Amino acid sequence: MTAHDELKANAAGYALGSLDADEHRAFESHLTECEECRTEVASLWPVVAALATAVPQVTPRAEIRDRILEAAMAAGQQRTGQGSSSSTRPSVIRDRKSPPMLMWLPLAAAVVVAIGASVYAVRLQRQMGELQARFDQTQATTAVLAAPDLASINLQGQSVAPDARARALWSRSRGLVFTAANLPPAPPGKAYQVWVVTAQAPISAGLLTPDSSGVGTRYYMTPIDIAPPVAVAVTLEPAAGVPAPTGERYLVGMP
Amino acid sequence: MWLLAALARLQPAAESQADDVSCLQRIVSGDQAAAEGLYDRHARPLYSLILRILGDEQEAEDVLQEVFAQAFRQASRYDTRRGPVTAWLLTIARSRAIDRLRARRTRVEARGAGIEIIDDMPAVQLDAASAMLDEERSRLVREALLGLPLLQRMAIELAYFEGLSHAEIAARLEQPLGTIKTRIRLALLKLRDVLTEGRA
Repeated sequence: MTAHDELKANAAGYALGSLDADEHRAFESHLTECEECRTEVASLWPVVAALATAVPQVTPRAEIRDRILEAAMAAGQQRTGQGSSSSTRPSVIRDRKSPPMLMWLPLAAAVVVAIGASVYAVRLQRQMGELQARFDQTQATTAVLAAPDLASINLQGQSVAPDARARALWSRSRGLVFTAANLPPAPPGKAYQVWVVTAQAPISAGLLTPDSSGVGTRYYMTPIDIAPPVAVAVTLEPAAGVPAPTGERYLVGMP
Repeated sequence: MWLLAALARLQPAAESQADDVSCLQRIVSGDQAAAEGLYDRHARPLYSLILRILGDEQEAEDVLQEVFAQAFRQASRYDTRRGPVTAWLLTIARSRAIDRLRARRTRVEARGAGIEIIDDMPAVQLDAASAMLDEERSRLVREALLGLPLLQRMAIELAYFEGLSHAEIAARLEQPLGTIKTRIRLALLKLRDVLTEGRA
C-alpha cells in the first residue's frame, strides 16, 4: 500500500466524521494538495446526508418550536449584531449548470410524474413497513454492539450438530444479539428456539430461523431485571415455540 | 388526496435550496419569519437524526435548540460551495449530538464483540426507479444499508450514529484497523452508487 493509498482510505472516515483528531488534521492538510481525494470526499457528502435522513422520521413536539426559535434567535443576534453589511451576507455562488429550467417544466410532464409517483407511493408504503421492521432490528443490533456493558458468550454445537457454533452478545440495558452458523435445516413443523438460562429458569429469547446456509442472526429484547445468565442454549422445538425447553439441545454456551 | 400530497412532495431540491439560502441571508439581519421558515422546513429531519443518536427526547430537544442557535449564529458564514443548507444543518446536528453522546458515555470498554461468524449477507434487490421523493431516497438508502455485508453496515452505523472512532470500531468488531477503514470506504462507495443510479 502506498502512502497515498493509506491516506485515501481515510476519505470515507473523513466524510463520516469518524477520524480521530490527528487523522482528521492529517487528512485535511492532504486534501489541500490532492485533487483525487477532494473529488472522492465531495462525491461522498450526499451519501452521508442520505444516511442522516434515512433514520425513522419523528416530528418534534409543537410546544418547543417557539422556545427554540426565541432562544436560537437571541443567540444568533448576540453574534451578528444588528447590522447586515454586505460582507456578512452568505456567499452565494450560483451554480452555472442549473439555469431556471425547472420553471419551464411543462405542466403535463408534472402531472405524468405525479401520477407515476402516487402509484409508486402506494407500493412504497407497503415496502416501508417491512423495511422499517428490518431497520429497527439493525439499529437495535448496533446499539447492543456499542453497549458499555457488553458480554459475549460462545456456544458449542452439541452431539446432534457438532459443527454448529454461535455467539451471544448480551447487554442488560440493550438486549441480546444472537448469531449462529452451521445449523442443520429445521425439519418441517419444527423451529430453533434461543434460551437465556438463569439460575432460576430458562427464559425464551425467541425463535431463530437460519437461512439455507445454516446462518441466522437476530436481535432479541431481554427483560432489564433478568438474573445474570448462567448459560445460553438453542433447542429444537415445535414451530410455534414453547414456554420451557422440551426438545434436543443443539447449542450450549456458558459465560 | 394522496395525489395532492404526492405532488406537494415533488418540490424540486433546487427550489428549496434557494429558499434556504434566502432564509439564511434574512436571518443575518434578524428576520423572525425567515428563522421560522428554516425551522419549519428542517426541524423534523434534524430532530429525527439527533433522536436516533441520543435516544432521549429531552436531550434531543436541547440539542435541536443548540443546532438552530449555531446555524443562526453562523448564517453569515454559510458557503454554498460546501453543499446544500440541508447537508450543512445535518452536519451540525450530527456533530452536536455525537459530542453529547461522547460526553455521556462513560469509558466504553472495548472488549471486542467479535462477530466473525456473521459475514456476508445476501444483497437486496434494488428498484432503480426515480428517487425524486425524499421518502423514496430514504428507502433506497435503508435498503442499500440492509443489502451491505453485515460487517460493513455495522462499521458505518457505529461510526456515524454511535460516534466511535475507527480504532474503537476495529476493537469492537475484532478486525484489523485497515480492514475497518476499507470496509467503511467500500460501504460508502456502494451507497453512493445506489443513490446515483436511483437518481438517474
